[in-house]
Amino acid sequence: MTTSSEARAAALLAFMQLSDVGPARGRQLAAKRDPLGAWDAIRCGKPTIDGASRDLERLWMSEAARLDPLAELQRHRAAGVTITVLGDADYPEVLAADRQPPPLLLSKGAWPVAVPCCAIVGTRRCSRYGRDVASSLGRDLAAAGVSVVSGLALGIDGAAHLGALAAGGAPPIGVVACGLDVPYPRRHATLWEQVASAGVLVSEWPLGTAPMRWRFPARNRLIATLATVVVVVESDVGGGSMHTVRQADDRGRTVLAVPGPVTSPASHGTNLLLAEGCGPCRDADDVVVALGLAGGASLPSRGRLRADAAHPEVPRGAHDVLDRLGATRWSLEGLAEATGRSVGDLSVVLVELEGTGAVVCSDGWYEAAR
Amino acid sequence: MLATIESATVHGVHGSVVTVEVHVATGLPGFTIVGQPDAACRESRDRVRAAVMSSGLRWPQQRITVNLAPSGLRKSGGGLDLAMAIGVLVASGQLHPDAVGDRGFIAELGLDGSLRAVPGVLPMAAVVGGRELVVAAGNVLEAEVVDRHQVRSAPGLRAVVDALAGEAPWPRPPEVIPTEARAPALDLADVRGQRVARRALEIAAAGGHHLLMVGPPGGGKTMLAERLPSLLGCLAGEAALRATSVHSAAGLSLPPGGLLRRRPFRAPHHTSSLVSMIGGGTASMRPGEVSLASEGVLFLDELGEFPPAVLDALRQPLEQGVIRVARANHSVELPANFLLVAAMNPCPCGAAPSPMCRCTEANLARYRRRVSGPILDRLDLRILVEPPTRAELLDLPPGECSAAVASRVARARERASSRGVPSNSHLRGQELERLAPFASSARRIVERALDTGRLSGRGLARMRTVALTIDDLADGNGTLSESAVAEALSLRADFDMQHHTRGVA
Repeated sequence: MTTSSEARAAALLAFMQLSDVGPARGRQLAAKRDPLGAWDAIRCGKPTIDGASRDLERLWMSEAARLDPLAELQRHRAAGVTITVLGDADYPEVLAADRQPPPLLLSKGAWPVAVPCCAIVGTRRCSRYGRDVASSLGRDLAAAGVSVVSGLALGIDGAAHLGALAAGGAPPIGVVACGLDVPYPRRHATLWEQVASAGVLVSEWPLGTAPMRWRFPARNRLIATLATVVVVVESDVGGGSMHTVRQADDRGRTVLAVPGPVTSPASHGTNLLLAEGCGPCRDADDVVVALGLAGGASLPSRGRLRADAAHPEVPRGAHDVLDRLGATRWSLEGLAEATGRSVGDLSVVLVELEGTGAVVCSDGWYEAAR
Repeated sequence: MLATIESATVHGVHGSVVTVEVHVATGLPGFTIVGQPDAACRESRDRVRAAVMSSGLRWPQQRITVNLAPSGLRKSGGGLDLAMAIGVLVASGQLHPDAVGDRGFIAELGLDGSLRAVPGVLPMAAVVGGRELVVAAGNVLEAEVVDRHQVRSAPGLRAVVDALAGEAPWPRPPEVIPTEARAPALDLADVRGQRVARRALEIAAAGGHHLLMVGPPGGGKTMLAERLPSLLGCLAGEAALRATSVHSAAGLSLPPGGLLRRRPFRAPHHTSSLVSMIGGGTASMRPGEVSLASEGVLFLDELGEFPPAVLDALRQPLEQGVIRVARANHSVELPANFLLVAAMNPCPCGAAPSPMCRCTEANLARYRRRVSGPILDRLDLRILVEPPTRAELLDLPPGECSAAVASRVARARERASSRGVPSNSHLRGQELERLAPFASSARRIVERALDTGRLSGRGLARMRTVALTIDDLADGNGTLSESAVAEALSLRADFDMQHHTRGVA
């Protein structure tokens, strides 16, 4: 990092902490010949950034009084965060080529080099089916040498990364919408660390930035930019994943959708994508083909997802219950009604099925384990 | 002159004898009450004076001191009015002490001298000695439940004095007109479908197992809970007396005949205060909802909305069947031997687990966390209740009626009492292990449930009591079969209240 780039990094680290500053305004500052001078101008309340209102400039003035760019640079370095500024030599090419590149990138871990990337995205409110598919896709893709990019959110995102970590193949990329020291959702704090140590954890925000609503669409754009193929596992029609899909479309990325039951609201969005002509994703092979990776000898064999579905042993007399379960979720009551069995009789079967792992029960709902 | 009259006061659900001593002597005219009267009791002064004067009797223009003994006990309410009035009349020479004898008096006075009913006559009557007890007409039935005294009543103070002096016979108590037509008991036959919930209700009734129902609004949770008392059979003997005492002490209306026969069903709203739930509040320590539900069912709808303090306070009654309410200078033990039925939505908006649910993770976690821990541990039966389908509502014939289920429940309860406990849910430790061994096939299921973490150590013992109840209902021999254990397991749905995970990988 040269001195001029250091100055730019310092100015950006401070500037990105101000209210209502996003990547676009950050790029404006980064483009200045003397970013630190521009920062001083902002601190004095002088008009520096196009499109900022007088009120905003006044607000920035008061906020900037508490920030020292060089101290910010020190703080981030001390925290062990890698700082990359747009225009640096080590700035990822794929991002630099984008029309909305982040002016500043903070990362923990090592960027994968010359590895194809696939984003696995989906709803936080996923079904068990979605979770299982996301995790298998993550696992198989990582094993096939494809980096899994995702947002580390609850649901599909987290499942995909867990799968990828389990495979221990290509390094995963986690893109987050807040400071790297603000694990969000908090429940995924360990997952953050695992992704950072196995691959790379990226943010365009300085440390301490809170996960605000408007930062998530910006994060989605980064995911869409980083990946060559975007797979939507499960999403509602109005879900955030659909935003990622639009961003990916704008950038000419291939979008694949995982088909789901037409009755499942979690699959409404993905089924809609399929109806609109987007390619289906049934397993990792579909992604590998979309990535244009030929061969396939090293890839997990086609049908792997489906192969898991055949459970080795189903206890005698349990087939009708297992058939009933299908792909939906059942309550004990619903199963008793549908199979006509008594509660005691049905319980014996369900306990057996649970024991073999063919059925899982959570919160009182029974589901076939794929 | 001095007069001593017997009366009583109520504390919690227990009566205590109060001796009303009235001293009338020369001095500056005045009327003092000593011996820890509460506000209502201190106001007796004005009521008694007005009642005596408007009954055509003379109020002594002398110094009157009333002592309520024992002095260490707080007296509450207006039930001592009549005893004070009679005491004043005796001490001022208007009534001969022999005419009063050892009678007890429990009634409040109106300014016109009329006798008014007071709450808690049943427990008070149980402690007052003497052959005869004088109460207001509205309390006669209640006082007669304690088959101990000749119960007398009169419309007003004048009539009481006349009867005591032998100048008129005791007036006949007016025929009791039932104050309210009692609604017919709710029957399980009204419930369509809901096999699992029906089964859970039957097991809950038979084994005294507390029940949690989780399901969306409109799923029939309240309807089911309301029908649980009908499975428990009628109240009789000691239990009926205990339940009636609580209702009497709380001043609730009693059924015609005085004694409570129908099992109580209490459904306090989740905004109820801590005191209204567990009792206390006034000097008389009024019994709360947990005591009013004693010998019956306590239904807590929207369990997750109850304040944590209330849920916490339920621990003692669930464990011991009583609740001790203590204040700075006094404490009482109230009965609280109820069957708990709790209901809650799967999430604050009620739509979970479908993706239509719009609750945030934090909200959901907060909602579920309230129910977690100690209270959840005590709910042996946990089921999902789904709304019945249209076909079930329209096409299914009425289900089995309460009476049929109640007879099976009664048989199972008998077996439990032959084990020396009121119900199977009271069985603990080694005794449970001795009484309810696992069959080998059942043992396999239990081992696996323990291995997979489906069952914890504590959960195992609770599940065992439920399995024993299922065995009892099937007239088994006490050895827990595979199906009893499997059923007990599946009726103990694993609602993850601690760290609920909806979409987490």
